[in-house]
Amino acid sequence: MGRIIEEIYVWRLPVRLYHWINAICIAVLLVTGFYIASPVLLPPRGEAVASSAMSWWRYVHFAAGFIFIANFLYRLYWALFGGDRYARFGGFRPWSPKWWGTPFREQMASYMFLRRDEPHYTGHNPVAALTHFIFIFCGSVLMIGTGMAMYGENNPGGFADTLFGWLIPLFGSSYNLHMVHHAAAWIFPFYVVLHLYAVFRHDIVDRTSVTSSIITGYKHKVEEDPS
Amino acid sequence: MASKPTYAEIFRQRGLSRRDFLKFCSLTTAALGLAPSLLPKVMHAMETRPRTPVIWLHGLECTCCTESFIRSSHPIMADIIFNMISLDYDDTLSAAAGHQLEAVRHQIMEEYKGQYILACEGNVPTKDGGVYCLVGGDTYQNVLQETAAGAAAVIAWGACASFGCVQNADPNPTGAVPVSEIITDKPLVNVPGCPPIAEVMTGIITHFHTFGTLPELDRMKRPKAFYGTRIHDKCYRRAFYDAGMFVTDFDDESARKGWCLYKMGCKGPTTYNSCSNIEWNNGVSFPIGSGHPCFGCAAPGFWDDGPFYSRLADVSFLGTDMNADKIGAVAVGAAAAGAAGHAAVTAVKKRKAGNGQQSEQKEG
Repeated sequence: MGRIIEEIYVWRLPVRLYHWINAICIAVLLVTGFYIASPVLLPPRGEAVASSAMSWWRYVHFAAGFIFIANFLYRLYWALFGGDRYARFGGFRPWSPKWWGTPFREQMASYMFLRRDEPHYTGHNPVAALTHFIFIFCGSVLMIGTGMAMYGENNPGGFADTLFGWLIPLFGSSYNLHMVHHAAAWIFPFYVVLHLYAVFRHDIVDRTSVTSSIITGYKHKVEEDPS
Repeated sequence: MASKPTYAEIFRQRGLSRRDFLKFCSLTTAALGLAPSLLPKVMHAMETRPRTPVIWLHGLECTCCTESFIRSSHPIMADIIFNMISLDYDDTLSAAAGHQLEAVRHQIMEEYKGQYILACEGNVPTKDGGVYCLVGGDTYQNVLQETAAGAAAVIAWGACASFGCVQNADPNPTGAVPVSEIITDKPLVNVPGCPPIAEVMTGIITHFHTFGTLPELDRMKRPKAFYGTRIHDKCYRRAFYDAGMFVTDFDDESARKGWCLYKMGCKGPTTYNSCSNIEWNNGVSFPIGSGHPCFGCAAPGFWDDGPFYSRLADVSFLGTDMNADKIGAVAVGAAAAGAAGHAAVTAVKKRKAGNGQQSEQKEG
């Protein structure tokens, strides 16, 4: 392996915290969510009043959902006002044709094996930024919106219903909204597969210690030619 | 139409006591969710004002809404409530028929212009000039528009009139649309359900009669008093849901014990109606009470949001045996396979390239 020639502090603490809270929340939300859609465990014997086998899963799902929302807003704040060059929206402008220009094409070409070399980025490369935006940002917004609309159904006229209830007619019916929430949940396992693969691959190909960087915060530059 | 009796007078003519009349007023007030202090106002209106005339039109439908309505139970005065409506114009229930009946409709439309309530049952086929539903030689679309023009308010009665029901389920061969898409310039209330609960009709008419307005409506124009909560939230089996005690088969022990029907595809968690508190046929029962899952007849997309006996919807455009979980699992599998393939190509390429790989330095 090459000698480490530079250590770059890329992921500051708020970003790392967000990442891991988000990861844990998504895991919990997925497991509890799929369980709520299809409860499988046998109920305990005895009176229904003594058991909360289903409501416990719902409780955990809602609790994790609220932490997920808070964490999402926290990350949004950090992106907008954190002044963190590797964690802001600043460079991400997919509405501009320029953004889709050379850097994006080079990165895509590299992923599609049309180039020999690998472009190097300290933060997110443009393809990664776009993927994060589609799956994590849009996916989270969709899940939070539909989730809160469903949560508000418990208490018509309440806080969640007032703010998010309009999504129900938008999706046609409460049932459709439930199904969209369920189907869209698959975004996350799908994304996790791609995410983990891309991280491990970059770690091996670029040797920038991107995997450990989300724990330590540091990426490394390594000597070109292994000694 | 010379003498216009009040509701109280109709009660007396039918030989019902004042006590019955008061019971009716208090029950309707309570059902509408009005404050008890408004009861005198309701009574006063019912005693003094001539009854609100109602024209009841039938479009593309099965008449189950009328069947439900004439079984209105609270109070046990079905024919009184029936009287609140039918004598004016209802092509199913009226004694008159043919041109005679159409003449009655035109007479009411002129005499009570801007005052009558239009209740419509069934939806409106619009394809091919609306020929799929003809009433008295004219298309239902024309009849509806003509009658609605002078109406004070429109009640879209039933799932067909409110959201479309079976007629506008995919592929909707007659181009059927709910009433709200035809009548856009009148106060309109949707009363979905296949059929809807009869008490809602008396409630709406009483409210309109007393206050001159429709009751408070929700986002889908349904009266909040009756459609404010999901069946699930007032279901007497909810305790079994929270306890995780589910029916898994219609002939198992849990079905006999009356556990929650969630896993049998009950649409109670997504359907807004009053079945679980008002119930049907003199409060005898409602589907879940009889051991059958709710299949969401009062929800928009009823029939298209299938299947009835499972929680997860079929994704129709991808074949009938696909659902969200199968699609999701396939997508994740494809992602994993893609990643594995990509990794293999990367490894091969790297071996070929040897150690001569170059990397560009760029700012992120």
